[in-house]
Amino acid sequence: MNDFLFAMIQSELEDAVGQENCSANPIDKLVHSVDYFWLSRMWADRGRRMPEADIIVSPQNAHETSAVLKIANYYKIPVTTWGAGGGTQGGAIPVCGGILLDTKRMNKIHQVNTDSMYIECGTGIIYKHLEDIANDYSYTTMHYPSSLTCSTVGGFLAHRGIGVVSTKYGKIDDMVLQIELVLPNGDIIETSPVPKHAAGPDLNQIFIGSEGTLCVMTKAQMRIYVQPEERRFRGFLFKNISDALKAGKELLQKIKPSVMRLYDEAETISIIKKIVGVSKKGAFMNIALEGIAEIVAIEEKILLDVFKKYGAEDLGNEYGEKWWKEKITFFYPGHALDLPQMFGTMDTIAPFDKIETIYWAMKESIETNFPMARFIAHFSHWYEWGAMIYDRFIVDEPPADPMEALRLHNQIWNCGVRAALANGGVLNDHHGVGIKLGRLMKEQYGSAMQVFEALKRQLDPNQILNPFKLGL
Amino acid sequence: MNLSQKNKETINSCRFCWMCRHICPIGNATGQERNTPRARALGMSFVLRNNEKPENIINNIYECSLCGACTKECVTGWNPVAVILEARREGIFAGIVSDSIKKMIGNFEKTGNIYGITKIDTELLNEIKSLPPKSDTLLFLGKDTTYKNPQGALNAIRLLKKIGNDFTVLSDEPDSGYAIHFLVGSTAETKNLFNETAKKLDFETIIVYDPCDAKIFLREYKEWGIDVKSQIKTWTSHLAQQIENGTLKPKRTDLSLTFQDHFALARDLEETEPARKILRACGSIREMLLHGKETVFAGSLLMREYLPNEINLVAQERWNSVINSGADVVVTCSTAEYICLNENKIEQKSSVTQLLSIEELVLKCL
Repeated sequence: MNDFLFAMIQSELEDAVGQENCSANPIDKLVHSVDYFWLSRMWADRGRRMPEADIIVSPQNAHETSAVLKIANYYKIPVTTWGAGGGTQGGAIPVCGGILLDTKRMNKIHQVNTDSMYIECGTGIIYKHLEDIANDYSYTTMHYPSSLTCSTVGGFLAHRGIGVVSTKYGKIDDMVLQIELVLPNGDIIETSPVPKHAAGPDLNQIFIGSEGTLCVMTKAQMRIYVQPEERRFRGFLFKNISDALKAGKELLQKIKPSVMRLYDEAETISIIKKIVGVSKKGAFMNIALEGIAEIVAIEEKILLDVFKKYGAEDLGNEYGEKWWKEKITFFYPGHALDLPQMFGTMDTIAPFDKIETIYWAMKESIETNFPMARFIAHFSHWYEWGAMIYDRFIVDEPPADPMEALRLHNQIWNCGVRAALANGGVLNDHHGVGIKLGRLMKEQYGSAMQVFEALKRQLDPNQILNPFKLGL
Repeated sequence: MNLSQKNKETINSCRFCWMCRHICPIGNATGQERNTPRARALGMSFVLRNNEKPENIINNIYECSLCGACTKECVTGWNPVAVILEARREGIFAGIVSDSIKKMIGNFEKTGNIYGITKIDTELLNEIKSLPPKSDTLLFLGKDTTYKNPQGALNAIRLLKKIGNDFTVLSDEPDSGYAIHFLVGSTAETKNLFNETAKKLDFETIIVYDPCDAKIFLREYKEWGIDVKSQIKTWTSHLAQQIENGTLKPKRTDLSLTFQDHFALARDLEETEPARKILRACGSIREMLLHGKETVFAGSLLMREYLPNEINLVAQERWNSVINSGADVVVTCSTAEYICLNENKIEQKSSVTQLLSIEELVLKCL
C-alpha cells in the first residue's frame, strides 16, 4: 500500500476510535506481534521479527468496533483481534498485517446484576479484574485458570477457555449468558437473552470458540456465584494413572468435586515434587470439594470410600491446600517451562473408554518418533463421561536455527495430535486452535469443516477477520 | 543499552511472562498493551538484540510509574523497576529522551524543581517565615507540596502547630532527589544531589511530608551509603505517634473512611498501619479491595507533566475502587495523589465520596 493511501486509512481509523487510540508506532506494533505461542517467543528470542500489524486500534465499544470493521471491509484489510495476548496458539498474531484491534479499552463494568447473578462487562476486561468486582460484591466468577491475570473475558470466550474448578462449575461457555458482538460487516448484534432455549440453535455456541474469525465480541454477561461456605482439599497418591482414572470416573457418578487433577508419574516426580512437595512415586491426584459445609462433609466421606477401593493413598489436605495456594506459581519464570526449552501443551479430551488409550498412544508416538522429547501429562478437567489430558512435550535442547526449530515443533505437534485424533480424541480441549493447529482442523472435521467454511463465507465474504486462524 | 547482567536476566524473564500484566496501573487505565511489564521488557529485549532502535522504545520506558506493583506481584522475585531506572539512565546518556523530559531536567537545573517554578506561594512563605528558623525538628515539605499544593503545606504546618510541636520549615528547602532519580535513574549526578541535600539536613528529626521523598531518604540514600544523621519519620507515622502518646486527640466521627495507600509508603517502606491508626481515631475504615501493599497508584504530578491524559485516566480508574469501597471519604497522604484524584473525580450515582488529605481529616476532627 502506498504511503498516501495508508495515511488516508489511518486518518479514517483515527476518526473512528480517536487519534490517541490508533497507533502505527514501532513499539505498539512490536508488542502486539509476540503472544504466548511458543513459536512467536522462539522467533523473537532468536532475533527475528514476528509479523506485525500495520496499525493498532483500540475501540471503546461496539460502535467504534463497528466503524473499524466497516473501514476494514471497504479497503479489504485484515483485522486481528487482540485481548491480552496470553493465548498459546498464536490466535492473536497478525500474521497478515493490517489492522490489529485491541479490545482492552472495552473494559467497563456495565451492570452487576445480583438478582440474576451475572455481571455485564466489556469483553476487554482482564478476567482477574472481573473477579475483583465480583469479590467486591461478595461473589465470585468461579473461573480460575492459570491465565486469570493475563487474559480477557473476550479471549476466554474466543477460544472456549476453562478454569481449575471446571468440574463443578463448567467451562467459559457455561458461564456466559448474553453476548454483544460485531459481525465482520459492522452490524452489531446480541445473542439471545439466555442461552438455554429452544428458539433455534444457540447463537452463543456459534461464536464462542470462533477465535476472532467470525466476529469481534464487545460485551458479555458473565455469571457470578455465591462463595462456597467451605472448600476442602484432599491429596491422594495412586499406583498408576489407570487406577486413578477408574476412581475418578466412579466418583463423578456420585458427586461433583470442583478441582480434580491427576498427574501422571512423570509429572508427579517433577513438577508436583518441586511446587507441592510430594516426593513419593506414583500418580498424584488433588481433589477439592466445596459448597455448603454439611454437604462437603458427606461428599468427602464418599470420596474417601471410592478412592480407597482403588488403592489410593490418602495424603490428607496439606498437599491440596499447597497446590491451591501455588496454582499460579506454576506459570512464573523459573517454575514454568521456558526458552531455551521447546515445549507444547497438546490438550485433548475424550470419553473415559478412550482417554487412557489416547494418553499412551500420544506418549508412545512422541517418545518413539522424537527421542529428544520428554512427555509429561496431567488430567485436569473432568466430566461424568470423560476427561481431558493436559499432555506436554519438552525438548531441552531444540535446534538453534529458528526455521529448524519451527519445523521440529510442528512435526511433534502433528505427531501428537494425529495420535489423539486416531484414537478418538479432539484437536484441542481449551487452548484453541489459532495458527498453531489450523492446518489440522480439516483432519479432525473432514467434510464437517464445510459448516464452518460456509459460516465464514457468509459472515465474512472479504475474509478480513483473523485470516488463517482456525483453518479458515 | 548498557544494562547490568541482572537487569538483562530480568528482561529475558519478563519479556515472555504475562503473570503481572493485570497489575500495571498505567496499562489498566490506558488499555494499551505497551503499558505492561512484559511489553516493556519485550521492547528492551529487541533493543538488546540489536533488532529495535532504543529511540523507538524510550517513551514507553517513561510511561512506567515505578510504583513497584509488578515487582511485588512477582513470585520469582524479578524487579522490573530496577530495569526501567537503568534504561532511563541509558536513554539520558544517549540523548534520546523526549523533549518533555529534557525540559523538566532543564527546569531543575535552572530553578531547583522540575516544574520551573521560581516563587513560593506568598501565604506559605509568610507561614514558613513565622516559624522558628532553627529547631530540632524539620518538616520537610518536598517540591510537589511546596510548589503545587501550598494549601496542603499550610494545613500540615497548622496541624503541627496545633499539636504544639516545635519545628522548622526551610524556605530554601533542598531537593530530596526524588524527581531526578525518577527521571534519570542512578547516575553520579543523582548521587551528588543526594550528598548535597544530606549535608544540608542537620536536624535531630525530619518529618517527611511526601512518601516519595521519604522513600528516597530512607531507601535510596541508604543504598548509596549516604548518611543522613537525622531520624527520618514519615508524616503519617509522626501523626500516628502523636495520637498514640495523646498529644493529638481527634474526635471520632460517623464517617466511613478509606485510605489511599501510597505505593512508596506501603511497598517500599512497608508502612501501612500508622495511617490506619489515624483513620480509626477519626472514623471507621472501609478498605478498598486493593489496599495496603496491594495498593494501586493514583497519580503523579511529575508524570502528569509529560503524560497528562494517562495520569488523568489512572486517577479516574482509582476513583472506581474508591466508590466500590462504599466509604464516605477517601483519604490520601501524598500531594500528587491528592491533586490527581481531586481533579479527576468521576460521576457518582448515589452518595458522593469526599476526598481529604490526612491532615485535612485530622483538622476536621479536632
